[in-house]
Amino acid sequence: MSSSANHSSVRLEAAACRTALGDAPATRAALAAGQRALALLPVLGAEGGGLAPLATWNRRSFDETTPPSWLPCVDALAAEIPAGTWGDARHPVYLTSSNFGVGSQYAFQRTRDPRHLAYGTPFAVAELLRQRFGWGENVAVLSHACVSAQLGLLLAARTLEQGWAEQALIFSFDFISPFVAGGFHALKILNTEMPAPYAVRATGSIGLGDGAAFAVLSAGRGGLRLSAPTLHNEMHHFTANRPDGAGFAACLAPVAAAAGGRRVWVKGHGTGTLEAGKLEAEAVAALFPGSPLVSWKGSIGHTLGSCGLVELAVAVAAMAAGPVPGTVGTVPPCFTPAVATEPFAHAGYDGVVLASNAFGGAHAACLLTHD
Amino acid sequence: MIERYLTGVRLDEPGLEDPSGTRERLRDLFPRGATRRMTQLGLLIGGVLHDLAPAEADTLVYASSFAENQALEDYLASFPNPSPTLFQTSIHPSAVQQVLIARQQAVREFFPLTGRRQLIAHGLLTALMGSGLRALFCGGEERGQWLHEHQMGSDESFAFAIALSRESAGAIGRLRLEQTGAGDGQLTLREFFGVLRDRRPLRQLAAPGIELELSWL
Repeated sequence: MSSSANHSSVRLEAAACRTALGDAPATRAALAAGQRALALLPVLGAEGGGLAPLATWNRRSFDETTPPSWLPCVDALAAEIPAGTWGDARHPVYLTSSNFGVGSQYAFQRTRDPRHLAYGTPFAVAELLRQRFGWGENVAVLSHACVSAQLGLLLAARTLEQGWAEQALIFSFDFISPFVAGGFHALKILNTEMPAPYAVRATGSIGLGDGAAFAVLSAGRGGLRLSAPTLHNEMHHFTANRPDGAGFAACLAPVAAAAGGRRVWVKGHGTGTLEAGKLEAEAVAALFPGSPLVSWKGSIGHTLGSCGLVELAVAVAAMAAGPVPGTVGTVPPCFTPAVATEPFAHAGYDGVVLASNAFGGAHAACLLTHD
Repeated sequence: MIERYLTGVRLDEPGLEDPSGTRERLRDLFPRGATRRMTQLGLLIGGVLHDLAPAEADTLVYASSFAENQALEDYLASFPNPSPTLFQTSIHPSAVQQVLIARQQAVREFFPLTGRRQLIAHGLLTALMGSGLRALFCGGEERGQWLHEHQMGSDESFAFAIALSRESAGAIGRLRLEQTGAGDGQLTLREFFGVLRDRRPLRQLAAPGIELELSWL
């Protein structure tokens, strides 16, 4: 299920993203400067609803249009994908999202405008992107809520390691819609408070953000090694983790073993909820003693199914240009002393652990190292 | 080439049965009280997985093109006061999560896939590449109402689950995936269900460059 850091042959050739703060270098720089993209906006868009922290790409309205207003974002991102015969048998594409075109489904249900129908199912959106970007039909489509992108990374790595591919493209996206913002608002974890991941405070809160990203993996090329992609699904509760934190430990322990004695920092999931944030921070402190823990969702918001890949691209930018952004929006006291609230230099670290969580107590993590 | 032994097949094809009928028919397979909020697809998936008994070390793969039609329709209808319960139930992997949460059964590897023409090829490849000794591949659809009328939902309900093992003990069939040089290919969820139901042998391209062979012992 996981491969050790010393034996994995999977390399990261390229990674890029788009967030409300721009591309990966711009997002890293803005995060390091403490900039917060989230702003209080009505969760139902033009129809109103309560205010909540939301961050859209290019100040896009999330009242869905035809064609969808998020298409220019994925077009701009796709233009950065290295040339290749993506989607043929030896160059599979892993397309991942939590929500695909639910914004169009919502818009159709409200307006009955039939033009929205073309974007209302995952396979319709997958086919749209496949044709738009010239991919072949070898496009595996994954949807596992907020660990979707990490699933794509794991499967791509596994396909490479088992000799079924030479290169693999993972493409992930999720864009805010009233469907999603209204749902999280109904769950009451999207409220008028700005998120402060890992902070000790009375009320937890999250923010939502637009996000899209890609990564290219190959066997033996590229400067960074991807290893120990690991999963665990607690299946304890739809929206809560096991209170003993066993799910976090089960996922992170193999990654810690693969990291061995390397100096790593940890990019956690850290949405801003209290219970999950505390469990995650404690698990990281136990398994990666001395490693700084950061989350960037207090600024760019939770980009849902794309977060694993969006934050990987930002992490790669930080490893290349530094400094590593701290946990924007959070001030001490925090759940553990390891939570980094200020930027720090990547120099001296061998790599980063990337972790994501999702509904159903789903956990995913992997290790990215220089060698 | 990857090959596994088929050690179990479970199918449910309730046709036009409504969700309350499915709930009544399958309620004894679930913990007491658990079925009250389960969707029809959750019930069907729970039914076909029941005696294959997913375990933590299994690789579990789930495939559905439309997934939670009825929860999606009801959730959309709940606006402008969206239902939190229907929101969490409407997500793509919900059917499997409803079942395993009811049974408090953790699984290490769970891969929910969607798509259409190559969904079976990608689902099976995911299952066969799994790290566990056993992989379970399940899938299905539930019948939608207005989503179906607008080609955003399924016109029928069905579910299947198969168990795939590295060991030959108890095998009833053999399943093999092989990379070929080229060629287009497709195999939908419904087509694969028909192959399993009719116990038909199969050898065809299920995705570009991926040949699927299923033989029955």
